[in-house]
Amino acid sequence: MKKTLLVISTAVMVALAAPAFAGAKQDAVMDHYKKLAKGSFSAERGKAFYSAVHTGGKPATPSCTSCHTKSPTGTGQTRANKPIAPMALSKSPDRFGDLKKVEKWFGRNCRSVLGRECTVQEKGDFLAFMYSQ
Amino acid sequence: MSDISLISGANHGKASARGVRIWDLPVRLFHWGLVAGVSTALVTGFLAEEWYLYIHNWAGYTIAFLISFRLIWGFFGSKYARFASFIFTPKETIGHIKEFARGNSAHYSGHNPAGALMVFALLAVLLLLTVSGVIILGGQENLGALAGFVSFEIGAFLVEIHELLAWSLMLLIIAHVAGMIIESRISGENLARAMVTGNKKDASNQPITMPVSTIVLRAVVIAAIVGGAGFALYQKYSAVPASGLVKLVPNETYNSECGDCHYAYHPSLLPRSSWQGIMANLENHFGEDASLDAETVKSLSAWLNENSSEIWDTEAANNLRKVSPKAPLSISETPYWQSRHSEINKNVFKQTNIGTKGNCIACHSDAKTGRFDDAAISIPPPKPNT
Repeated sequence: MKKTLLVISTAVMVALAAPAFAGAKQDAVMDHYKKLAKGSFSAERGKAFYSAVHTGGKPATPSCTSCHTKSPTGTGQTRANKPIAPMALSKSPDRFGDLKKVEKWFGRNCRSVLGRECTVQEKGDFLAFMYSQ
Repeated sequence: MSDISLISGANHGKASARGVRIWDLPVRLFHWGLVAGVSTALVTGFLAEEWYLYIHNWAGYTIAFLISFRLIWGFFGSKYARFASFIFTPKETIGHIKEFARGNSAHYSGHNPAGALMVFALLAVLLLLTVSGVIILGGQENLGALAGFVSFEIGAFLVEIHELLAWSLMLLIIAHVAGMIIESRISGENLARAMVTGNKKDASNQPITMPVSTIVLRAVVIAAIVGGAGFALYQKYSAVPASGLVKLVPNETYNSECGDCHYAYHPSLLPRSSWQGIMANLENHFGEDASLDAETVKSLSAWLNENSSEIWDTEAANNLRKVSPKAPLSISETPYWQSRHSEINKNVFKQTNIGTKGNCIACHSDAKTGRFDDAAISIPPPKPNT
């Protein structure tokens, strides 16, 4: 009986596993972007966006990886030498739980790296990638 | 037997190879303790890095204790320790110095008139040095017994006088040692050795007569009174909150919004005009986009406005108020910051565990309080690249 329950619950978890590490707050933030988006989000696209070298932003920061390291699980560093906790939800489970803060950082960093605001699609893909890591 | 002779107060005039007892043990301990304290204070004051200040302070407290003890011992000590035994008229003193200059010196068992003058001069200069030192410590550093009572301005003013006194002290020490050597030559008595053993060889000297037990008992009582009173006064007055520091209400918004990217600079480190300039241009914040929503900007601006350098009387606030006309928003561009960090190799700031000039807290462990105590400075050793 117990075994059956375990099998069922595991199956349910796997089925729902799209954002494996996200809590209720993170889900709410994702829902916000989902409502604004036309299509669905892809962690794969988010990964490519994270690693890409962009133009149009500040020369010192052409990529997310400039400060956040090549892997979203790495500890980054600000220009003023403060550590930046990993972006991956598996490492920083409290991240992306506050929409205002998420928007603040998308605003600053998209302008610095891309020289423009990010689209809803880019933001959603980026979050999907981070939620999966 | 020889051990006893060192602390023996009197040997009743018996001329022996050991000589006759002139300087009691407290006088000798005072003298050599003072040599140690003054040497430490001079080296840490003139040569050592800022963060040796606390050793300088301890040397100062030791000196203050010793001279306070000596001033009392001058009334209760054995014969030659008493001020009454070496107070001479100006005529006597001038006469002695004149003779001394010609290479003659009348015989004195204790201090001769020139030596006596030196004792009083040294005591006076050391008294002024310790008093001015405690005032400076309270005014400039907001530390010590007078932190709650002295303004930065008074402390800064007395620094000059403290330094002048220290130079005078060094001249006096040179004259004291030179006079001692010359007098030793003239009299054939090794005076430095006499201050170690307490004895003079010349049997014509009148020995001290106070019994050892009396000397020890009196010295212990006086030392306990001086030490206890000093400690009690220090405890009482150093408990008064430092006058230069303001009670800062912690601002969580400031600590997270600003402190997420850099050490959250203490608001006392810049004047109002600079903080307002910074808050008005967060879109280009020293090359970074640090934009915030209008509401947050408004609340942080108000808090910085209320707590800027104008309301603090610390060393950092007083000196950093003068900003660079070219870069009025930057702390590390202020003339004071630049001069205080001029001796630090540029590569030190690039160390992985420091990174930037703006990372105050990497070396100033008390940066969050705005105190920036000299004793709280510690440059971390470079970390090997891993």
